Amino acid sequence: MALRARAAAPGADDGTLFDEAFLAKLELLHVIARRLFRGRQRAERKTRKIGSGLEFADHREYSPGDDIRYLDWTAWVRLRHRLIRLYEEDEDLPIRIVVDVSESMTTRGRAKLRYARQIAAALAYVGLANLDRVGLTCTSGTTFDTLPAVRGKGRIFKVFEFLRAVKPGGATDLRAGLSRVAAQSSQPGLTVVISDFYDMQAFEGLNLLRFRRHDPVAIQVIDPVEADPRGSGLRGDVTVVDCEGGSHREVTVSARTLEAYAAAHERFCAALESNCRSRGIHYVRAPIDVPFDDLVLRMFRMGGILL
Amino acid sequence: MTAAGLLPIVIGGSVAITGLYLLRMRRRQVVVPFAALWQQVTRESESRKLWRRLRRLLSWLVQILVLLLVCAALGDPRPDVWLREPMTLAIVVDRSASMSGQTADGGTRLDAARVRVQQELAGLGPVDQAVIIAAGEEVGVLAPRSGDTAALSAALAGLAPSHGEADLVRALALAEHAVAESPGPRVLVVTDGALDDGGLAALRRCTGGAIPCQIVVTDGATSNLAITAFAARRYPNARDKVEVLAEVRNLGDEPAAVWLDVEADGVSVGRRRLELQPGESRREALADLEAARARFVARLESVDDPAQGISNDLGPAFDDIAYAVVPPLSPLAVAVVTDGTDLFLEAALLTQGDHVELTGVSPAEAVAGHAALREADVVVFDVGDGPLPAVLPEAHVLIFDPWRTASSPCPIAKRADVRRPFLTEWLRDHPALAHVVLKDVNISRGTTFALEPGDQALVRTLGEPIVVLRERGDHGLVAVGFDPRQSDLPLRVAFPVFIDNVLRYFEQREPGFVASVALGGSRELALADLGVGTEGVSRVAVRAPDGTVRGQPVEDGRIRLRALVPGFYEIRPEGGDDSDDARAAEDPRSPDRPIMAELAVNQTGTMASDLHSRLDDVDPAALAGDAPEGAPVGEGPLWTALLLVAAAVVVIEWATYHRRITV
Repeated sequence: MALRARAAAPGADDGTLFDEAFLAKLELLHVIARRLFRGRQRAERKTRKIGSGLEFADHREYSPGDDIRYLDWTAWVRLRHRLIRLYEEDEDLPIRIVVDVSESMTTRGRAKLRYARQIAAALAYVGLANLDRVGLTCTSGTTFDTLPAVRGKGRIFKVFEFLRAVKPGGATDLRAGLSRVAAQSSQPGLTVVISDFYDMQAFEGLNLLRFRRHDPVAIQVIDPVEADPRGSGLRGDVTVVDCEGGSHREVTVSARTLEAYAAAHERFCAALESNCRSRGIHYVRAPIDVPFDDLVLRMFRMGGILL
Repeated sequence: MTAAGLLPIVIGGSVAITGLYLLRMRRRQVVVPFAALWQQVTRESESRKLWRRLRRLLSWLVQILVLLLVCAALGDPRPDVWLREPMTLAIVVDRSASMSGQTADGGTRLDAARVRVQQELAGLGPVDQAVIIAAGEEVGVLAPRSGDTAALSAALAGLAPSHGEADLVRALALAEHAVAESPGPRVLVVTDGALDDGGLAALRRCTGGAIPCQIVVTDGATSNLAITAFAARRYPNARDKVEVLAEVRNLGDEPAAVWLDVEADGVSVGRRRLELQPGESRREALADLEAARARFVARLESVDDPAQGISNDLGPAFDDIAYAVVPPLSPLAVAVVTDGTDLFLEAALLTQGDHVELTGVSPAEAVAGHAALREADVVVFDVGDGPLPAVLPEAHVLIFDPWRTASSPCPIAKRADVRRPFLTEWLRDHPALAHVVLKDVNISRGTTFALEPGDQALVRTLGEPIVVLRERGDHGLVAVGFDPRQSDLPLRVAFPVFIDNVLRYFEQREPGFVASVALGGSRELALADLGVGTEGVSRVAVRAPDGTVRGQPVEDGRIRLRALVPGFYEIRPEGGDDSDDARAAEDPRSPDRPIMAELAVNQTGTMASDLHSRLDDVDPAALAGDAPEGAPVGEGPLWTALLLVAAAVVVIEWATYHRRITV
């Protein structure tokens, strides 16, 4: 099987997942992040919650029971419409990092899953170092593990332990997983979804987060060999079996077929990116042959995604 | 292996291949992270599904084809040409001059022969062998016996027409000898049929011999005008003048016109237009030409404006030119042994031309053996009362009254003494007595001779020979049985005429000058026939018209001349002086050395120029039919080729499998 190397034993690489070198890179990321965003207050990220704040946000129709103090009398005098003034409420914005641990992330020696966990750990570290509340969720069709939001740099090891202990497997079901994340979040926040998005309904999950007033960020982890298998040596008559079960198809693999597959993969990623950007969802493509710290720095430089 | 034996193998192999093929069609599984994309890709190629099935079918058919090829190889299929007994073929190709004649398609007869030989070689089986023999004036093996048809065919490129007749006698003998002890001997003669009598007889012997012998005839157009004779000679009585004779013959089947042009040392000395009927020959003589020009060349040139119904086709060019050399002027040495009392004899001798060198010798000197007698061509003894030598010299001898004494060196025996003989009969037609009238000659006394077989009585007296001619070996002897001083013959005109006739008769008995010879690979030639002496000459260098120089030893005054190209051959002495200084003085083959003799070499003659086939009455069974079909593969068993094809198919299938051309 060309596209799937011999499956590594679960947890085989957990010992080196967050080693000293990794921690050194995290510290470097933190220092760089502080230089990039110097002058901003810690944990001053605003929610979009409408409440009793001081900054006007919007109007809405008056309904019985509303506090009459927020009635916009000027509008009533001018327009004879009863409108309630809404204000943005200043509140800490939590960061939720969702890691896709489905079976598709474990192909080729769990390279994508390892990469996703490293990104998740890096983002969590930077967030905790900024005194944000950071929570993690690992989701798949059969798994949904959540680390409640924690605050403080010292909790990073709890994050490591959570990521290290997660059991990958199951089909990719980001729609259900993200829907559950949205439902369990009492407070909308920045939700970073790290996945290969090999799910036709993945974007619906992202859109659902956006609908629940989350600020979703999509990080698509891509294995270059899976994206363009022309150099994989795969040829001949094969039965293509989906690693997440169920679907299989007989394919005669030729150079032209592989070329068509690479084009289709590129179209798939481009469509996801286009959908995300059209709806204001941050999208980052993360090839696993790019060091994770370079990727995180690139996200920093994009601005507005994380800090 | 028979077809029945191969059938189970074919069936079993087909079943095995089909089974293996079905096993191979079980696809390996490849786990991918997102099969939906693969479905999308393969959905786009659904339209090629039929083609993919066909490719699978093609792959299976290729495997079956390989099996069939291997089974066919096991059956060792061979064409009939391979299954017959081995054959050893000797191909004799006529490369005579007539083979340069044209065929109906515009090519030469030799080209047609070359094509036919190529076809014969292509029809050879893998174990057959062939030898190609070229038959010209010389017989040569063009390609030695071999089964390598490529090498045999390549040797044909060097086949060119010669200038003379084909020596089929030796060529067929060589061909029969070459295949006699070999399996399946066969002789094939490719000729145009324009053969001489010897070649025709040899061909008939071959076709009727023990070894199968067949003939392929490659004849064609027969129109040809040829110079069949060409010679130059000095006038006997005017040796500074020459006359040239050329004979032109129309060997074609329709009237023809031609220009005959004669050149002497490059200068045209005569040009005549000839019109000849089929088979007609015309002799043209050019008289009173200056002998200062030694080389004569006769050419036939085409007529630009032939009359209606007259052809101007000269045919092949090999016989449209001829060469001739004017004979050298050689003096006749005459020694006269006389006591000086017969002034009439001396006067008669002095009337000879400059070419007669007279030397007077007294009878006493003659007895002692004078050097002039040894070097003389003709010795005249008229000693009167003087003595005769004990032995006559090695020369032509005219002796008067040899038996006046009891003993005489004359080999013609005395019969009787005769008083007052009358000359009653004489041979008027003999050259020695031409224009001689001996009627009423008064003679005082004389002797008659006893004839021996071979002797000729030139003059008789009442039936008894009184003047006798004896010819033995290279010399002649005329004995006159009376003394001219004792007769009134010297007072008559007949006397000097008789003397002149005898000298001319002796001169003509000398070796004649060979002005031209026919082409030939090896012919013996006496240098004396060329008018040159061979004393002190041990080798000569012969320069051919094509510039090649060949040294030849001189043995007994003779050389072996190898003349394969018409033209003038120059003969120069080589190493006549054996001293080292003389050898070092000059290159013996240098063209600057004086020419000792010159010789013209011409075509063989009428037979060589006649392009008509003489094979009309040959047994039809002796004629070969159409060329054999070419063998499908040049050499090696077919099954090897089949296995190679099978291996090639496997390699192609293997290579294309990995490129998904076949499945």
